[in-house]
Amino acid sequence: MTNHPGGDTVGAIVKRPPMLVVFVAVLVLTLGELGGALLSQLRPATARWAAARVVANPAAHGLSGSAEYDEDVRDRAVFATEAALSFFHTHAEGLALVLFFAATLVASVVHGRRARAALQTLLTAGALFPLGYLVYALAVLELGRDGGIQLAETWVLTPLGLAAIAGLLGLAGALARGRETP
Amino acid sequence: MTPPDDATWRLPPRLVLLAAVVLLLTAEVGGASMARFKVELARWARAEMIARPAVHGLVGVRDVDERVLDEALFRFDAGLRLFHMHAEGMALVIVATTTIAATLVRRPAPRRVLLALLTVGGVGYPLGYLLWSTLIPVVGIERGKAVAEWACWIPFGGATIVGLLWLVGLTGLRAVRR
Repeated sequence: MTNHPGGDTVGAIVKRPPMLVVFVAVLVLTLGELGGALLSQLRPATARWAAARVVANPAAHGLSGSAEYDEDVRDRAVFATEAALSFFHTHAEGLALVLFFAATLVASVVHGRRARAALQTLLTAGALFPLGYLVYALAVLELGRDGGIQLAETWVLTPLGLAAIAGLLGLAGALARGRETP
Repeated sequence: MTPPDDATWRLPPRLVLLAAVVLLLTAEVGGASMARFKVELARWARAEMIARPAVHGLVGVRDVDERVLDEALFRFDAGLRLFHMHAEGMALVIVATTTIAATLVRRPAPRRVLLALLTVGGVGYPLGYLLWSTLIPVVGIERGKAVAEWACWIPFGGATIVGLLWLVGLTGLRAVRR
């Protein structure tokens, strides 16, 4: 319902999504902030720890005992871990905001409790996508670069990313149908 | 029919929204200026660094000095980019988080404190990158970073993190109670 004259398509009310959804958005945002702060303060320590984990898993990383080759492998794994931690920071900040604004739109424009709940669930799961980069960072060190990336992509990044896309498609569909505030 | 207050968002105070919009505007202008005046900015930074050889460890050997200058210019440029990105992001974070705070915190005194933490922290943090970039040619990469850290990143980033942790507790409790 709007407080505007007839024919005016501007809605006066912006509804709040369920508290659990708001909680997840704030939590992911906070983890993103903390991740960024820790990453900048503990960068050398993180790199040292990552390098030590590579050395502790020689088979997973295919270390050969040749110093030059092993150093190259170690550097690439450490770089992948640092990049994943950096992606966690940026994606957590971004997807938390996506969840906040998209879930607010879902609460405000989507008819039907079930449809609303389904979209809120998809968007909330999608907001957990950045956690995939934490899995990525750890898995690369424990399983080797290729195995770690495959694990994170297959089991975390792809399903959660698809959930976000499905949620946004559903919201776009609801907006395209052009119905008024529930 | 209007839904009950609890089911809708409340707008944060106008001053908070103004701060977020000004920050967003600064980010956009900063990004545009970086692109438009890239050469001029690099020239200024280089001239400032050459004028302070001791600060940057310039030894007068072209091969060595060029590498040092390139590294400092790269950081100078990175600082400006990080300002642009963080200012855009934090402006949206301010809008989202203060909307949540304005809606969920009913008592005026704690609400004011939370809004202040989120707004001041959100606006001040990205300015640290601008400060760092400006300081690099004058005092060097590491000294500039230390100043930016203590003047902006730690106090303002800390304020944002405290505000966010407060919101996590608040929304977590509300979610559990329902």
